[in-house]
Amino acid sequence: MIDLDRETLVKMIDHTELSAHSGEKKIANLCDEARSFGFYAVCVNGAHTAYAAGRLAGSGVLVCAVAGFPLGAGTSSAKAFEAAEAVRNGASEIDMVINVGALRDKKFDFVRDDIRAVAEASGPALVKVILETGYLTDEEIVGGCKLSVEGGAQFVKTSTGFGAFGAFPEHVRLMRQTVGPAIGVKAAGGIKNFKEAWRLILAGASRLGLSASVGIVEGLSLYKFAPAAWLEEEIPCHICPSRFANLDKQPKAVYAYYKKKCLACPHLEKYNKYYE
Amino acid sequence: MSGWMGKIVAIDLGSRERRTVAVSEETRRRFLGGRGLGVRLYNDPCPDPIDPFDPDNALIFMTGPLTGTTMTSGRYQVVSRSPLTGTICDSSSGGTFGAALKGAGVDGLIVRGRAERPVYLAVQDGEVEVRDAAALWGLDTQKTQKAVQAEISSKASVACIGPAGENRVLFAAVMNDKDRAAGRGGMGAVMGGKNLKAVAASGNRAVAIADPAGYKDLTARLDRIVDKNPVTGKSLQVLGTSVLVNIINAHGMFPTENFRRGVFNDAEGTSGEKIAETLLERQSACYKCPIGCGRTTRTRTKRGEGPEYETAWAFGANLGISDLTAIAEANYACNELGLDTITMGGTLGCAMELRETGAWKENFRWGEAGRLLDWVTDTAYRRGVGADLALGSKRLAVKHGRPELAMQVKGMEIPAYDPRGAQGMALSYATSNRGGCHMRAYMIAPEILGHPVFLDRFSTAGKAELVALFQDVSAVVDSAVLCRFLQFAVGISTFAEILRTVTGLDWSEEELMRVGRRIYTLERLFNIRAGFGRADDALPPRFLNEELQTGSSRRRRVGLEPMLDDYYAVRGWDRNGVPRPQTLAELGL
Repeated sequence: MIDLDRETLVKMIDHTELSAHSGEKKIANLCDEARSFGFYAVCVNGAHTAYAAGRLAGSGVLVCAVAGFPLGAGTSSAKAFEAAEAVRNGASEIDMVINVGALRDKKFDFVRDDIRAVAEASGPALVKVILETGYLTDEEIVGGCKLSVEGGAQFVKTSTGFGAFGAFPEHVRLMRQTVGPAIGVKAAGGIKNFKEAWRLILAGASRLGLSASVGIVEGLSLYKFAPAAWLEEEIPCHICPSRFANLDKQPKAVYAYYKKKCLACPHLEKYNKYYE
Repeated sequence: MSGWMGKIVAIDLGSRERRTVAVSEETRRRFLGGRGLGVRLYNDPCPDPIDPFDPDNALIFMTGPLTGTTMTSGRYQVVSRSPLTGTICDSSSGGTFGAALKGAGVDGLIVRGRAERPVYLAVQDGEVEVRDAAALWGLDTQKTQKAVQAEISSKASVACIGPAGENRVLFAAVMNDKDRAAGRGGMGAVMGGKNLKAVAASGNRAVAIADPAGYKDLTARLDRIVDKNPVTGKSLQVLGTSVLVNIINAHGMFPTENFRRGVFNDAEGTSGEKIAETLLERQSACYKCPIGCGRTTRTRTKRGEGPEYETAWAFGANLGISDLTAIAEANYACNELGLDTITMGGTLGCAMELRETGAWKENFRWGEAGRLLDWVTDTAYRRGVGADLALGSKRLAVKHGRPELAMQVKGMEIPAYDPRGAQGMALSYATSNRGGCHMRAYMIAPEILGHPVFLDRFSTAGKAELVALFQDVSAVVDSAVLCRFLQFAVGISTFAEILRTVTGLDWSEEELMRVGRRIYTLERLFNIRAGFGRADDALPPRFLNEELQTGSSRRRRVGLEPMLDDYYAVRGWDRNGVPRPQTLAELGL
């Protein structure tokens, strides 16, 4: 059985609108939905931070702004400036993107300093570090989590939603094991329905970045009337990042890493029939 | 009485007697309106199943508490016993007619008897007038609507039949607002059997709202949710329902040539994308609807509405036809003549396979777009081969000795999703109270689109419970009355909230689900009295015994029986599909 009530679920949600083409009307809608459902926060691009903060004033819904989004490949000072400005404009939380290239190059000091620069610039705001797990091996995900904590972040986060793929339970589980219970884990990217959200919560996510927030909350309502459908045994491959490895979107070494894992997986023989 | 106009009129066309039918608040709470209240009220005059063309068979036009509000609802339901299936049937239509009926001060009409000469009903200021329709008889639906508007009011909304309904074609539709159809189940034939050509409604009475402030907030919130949802805010608006053509084809379950294959090589040419590039003139919307899934289209010589997904398939892949112009013009003809496009296409597919097997010698050939219009027209007038086509696929296939070639459930043609590609959809078809219908439980949402939960489409596990849930939610939405597309954006908790702000009555989520279950069970009880049982909760043998050979649903067949056992257990029915006494007691039936 799923032991989760609506109140708990809505307080785990960062209601998100980060599209390049989103104008003020969409941000207004985002804020109004967040207010009426009581979501924890809205997550927006920096240019919308002040507007969202104004619209949500007094509602109890926080504003989360992104920094270095979505590539994470800018300079540390640029990221820090972006974060500081967002906090001045009313952001209570900052979701920054890790420097993925530096992490893969094993420039650990650089990565830690990059995170620390943003954490210090963010002052009282809570900082989450987006690892963009679709570009990383398990070892690199573990390394990214440790560097995030060392750099002063309070949360690690799976994905931007613009990378190779979104949040998978396997990655969330790994991140939770690495950071322990005191640090938050945010799952984000491609979470479309309540079952997907629930899987990630079970894997250890304490926050969800969602565009489909309303449908997911409604899904919880439906679940109680037909629990079997939501509790149906999973086909492991359907929720495995290895099955979603994509040479067009991932570095070839990362693609090869996931493919190798897939070929060595004990589930392969049983479930491969689904992909004949 | 917020949400309702407080008047349901029963009229006997034979005696011209009319009376107001009292409906208690308790009954409205238990059945809402629309489909649920229609089925409930049908059982009063017709407790025992009678011939659909018997004058005593009731034909009910029913709105719901949300009809005529700005909650995307100009809809109404037509309820009667179907001449196509023999089941209880309700058929839903959009446009503005439902809102106009309430604007005229009436929640619903219960029509019995048969007029000696053709008549139409004019509903204005809470009164129902019987008018002579001799001059309208024989006109198509477009001309009928214009002629009635000329007599009543240019602002009147008209629901009417065309030649197909007059000729009692078993799948004749009721058409309103030019091209909107209460298409399925032959409600137009029942109307024609009563010599009732049209019902016109006009008036400006407003639906009272119990909580105006809450309603205003909720409307604004709903608009935002609909706009943000990728289905209601994007796909349906830009590409219409035909956005599904490429999606379903890619899943290998786009029925091709009477369901013999699941992949149509020319699907792209009949897709929503292609319609937008070639025929689309503008998108169109029902009363107060922010979605606007309708397609107003134009060929070189004609203009009309559609094709929507089911029609693009019925006259397209199902017949091996990829000529989009021919498909659109066949759609226009069905609208004008008053025919259900799904059954028309399904029956033609059956005819083509009968011809190919040598069972019927008439010249039906796959891909023959040039004769499509002739076949449709002949069907409406029951002439030539049309006399047989007008029977629908089940009777046609039986007549020619190959009943297994009719792709139908309980006599109604299965629409555009091959059940071998989605086991839950298979169960939904088999257990549908009105026959082969995708709208009773749209399992494509969880099995293909991942809403509200993504399910393994080839698995039978857990499907029964979700099919029953979807059937119950759909009964609620059809009874409220709302557009079904809203289910992509919001769920049962929001429906309860909408009903509360409009009617002032509280429904918990649990109570609302019980309303849906009660309605579904009441329909089932009627069908059992009409002789339906487990043997009728079945699929054509093709889906059980033959595997698809190509595409991503290949090597699949339907595992129906275990799902059926699960389903009956979930429903509280016995092994024969009869509701147990305890179930009836729980539902107050």
